[in-house]
Amino acid sequence: MNAPAGAAPSPDTLAALFEILKTFNKTGVELTPGTRFSEDLNFDSLVVMEFVAVVEDDFDISVPLNILPDVATIKDLALAVEKIVAE
Amino acid sequence: MADLLDRFAPLMAQRDALFGEGGVDPFEVKMDQVLSQTEAVIAGRRTILVGTNNYLGLTFAPEALKAAHEALEACGTGTTGSRVANGTYDGHKQLENVLSDFFGKEHAMVFSTGFLANLGILSTLMGPDDFILMDADCHASIYDGVRGSSAQVIRFKHNDAADLDKRLARLADKPGNKLIVIEGIYSMLGDKAPLGEIVAVKKKYDNVYLLSDEAHSLGVLGKFGRGLPEEAGCEDDVDFIVGTFSKSVGTVGGFCVSSHPQFNTLRLVCRAYVFTASLPPSVVASATVNLGLVKNGGALRVRLMRNAHKLHAGLTALGLKVASENSPVVAVVAPDPEVALAFWRGLIEAGVYVNLALPPATPYGYSLLRASLCAAHTEEQLDEVIAIFAEVAAKIGLTAPAVRQRIAAG
Repeated sequence: MNAPAGAAPSPDTLAALFEILKTFNKTGVELTPGTRFSEDLNFDSLVVMEFVAVVEDDFDISVPLNILPDVATIKDLALAVEKIVAE
Repeated sequence: MADLLDRFAPLMAQRDALFGEGGVDPFEVKMDQVLSQTEAVIAGRRTILVGTNNYLGLTFAPEALKAAHEALEACGTGTTGSRVANGTYDGHKQLENVLSDFFGKEHAMVFSTGFLANLGILSTLMGPDDFILMDADCHASIYDGVRGSSAQVIRFKHNDAADLDKRLARLADKPGNKLIVIEGIYSMLGDKAPLGEIVAVKKKYDNVYLLSDEAHSLGVLGKFGRGLPEEAGCEDDVDFIVGTFSKSVGTVGGFCVSSHPQFNTLRLVCRAYVFTASLPPSVVASATVNLGLVKNGGALRVRLMRNAHKLHAGLTALGLKVASENSPVVAVVAPDPEVALAFWRGLIEAGVYVNLALPPATPYGYSLLRASLCAAHTEEQLDEVIAIFAEVAAKIGLTAPAVRQRIAAG
């Protein structure tokens, strides 16, 4: 995302995402803000879509597909979610 | 340095592990000889085709064959040009007139395939301040089309008008236009969109347009074959209809019809229309004639649905899990890709062709044996198909209680 270098998502947002990710974390890697969806969690396009749908329900938002290519890590997603919630 | 295509290595490894050595590759089927709309010779065997999307069986309609032959002789094998250069013949314009009359819309644009129609229309229609709300189960051509759009793209849950409503409500104070994208019949499971509910949601908000892809419902639904909008009685509420000639119409090509007053603007800005060669005259002639047969094809639709009910009932009676009722698509759900492949190979070796459909091309991660019916299937052919399904299912243990439980649980 194009967030400023120092931007950090709130711990609440991260915690909510970690909670959702529990059921999607098939590789069992430790979840940190820097965990990458593709490389660390082995998400394929289908899993990404399922996961995003749960995030949308949880935060009561719509996540445009357009932003997904720029979301590599949990921190990226947390910042994107916060931006959408704030709009 | 990694090879160009190394990034697909995991997929190819998965494919090799599943398909193994020997056996027919389901994605490399070759029709050695086409015998009719419903039979072909595959690997030296007479095979009943139950997976061709040739819903009305018009691929050998004598009237269309004659018109195609005449156009071929008169105009040659191809136009060698785009619609905006030298690729618009009298036939292309006639076909567009026939299409707009058929649908009762003001305008029609003919594309070279249905895929290109979706790609062209969806990437062009909406601008940077607009929003596209698409059903999550839409076809790959719709996903690729919206990816080329500058609008924001939002998915709503499959066939869930309430979810669409919620998402439109979130956008209610945004000034941009909104486009809802659905399909009349979804190809993999054969289920219909709840069009009446979607139209009701559309009407609650301002600046919302509706586009329906009628690829699998054109010729199938409605008294005159105009698809789901005709059947649901809300044709005026569907602003854009996209479709294909490659299913009920029995040839190839795509189109979009609409009564939007500025629709013809799209002829200059739709890249998938401007920058590709137009359909060959013989194909245009076949489509034109077959659209007339589709319109007057009430008897074919009755036969198609009778056949669909017969296959659905026959396979359900075997204890197989079949996805949709009352649909020309009869998709059998297998517990996993391995069983689906074994089933598919058993069928092809016994002379029945259906589509093998595997995730990620399927909803819910289903592994499917997808059959599609044809009005030209005979009762005898379908009896044979059901008998072969029974044999193969028994051989691989798919109708065994344990496997049925697994499928039901999945």
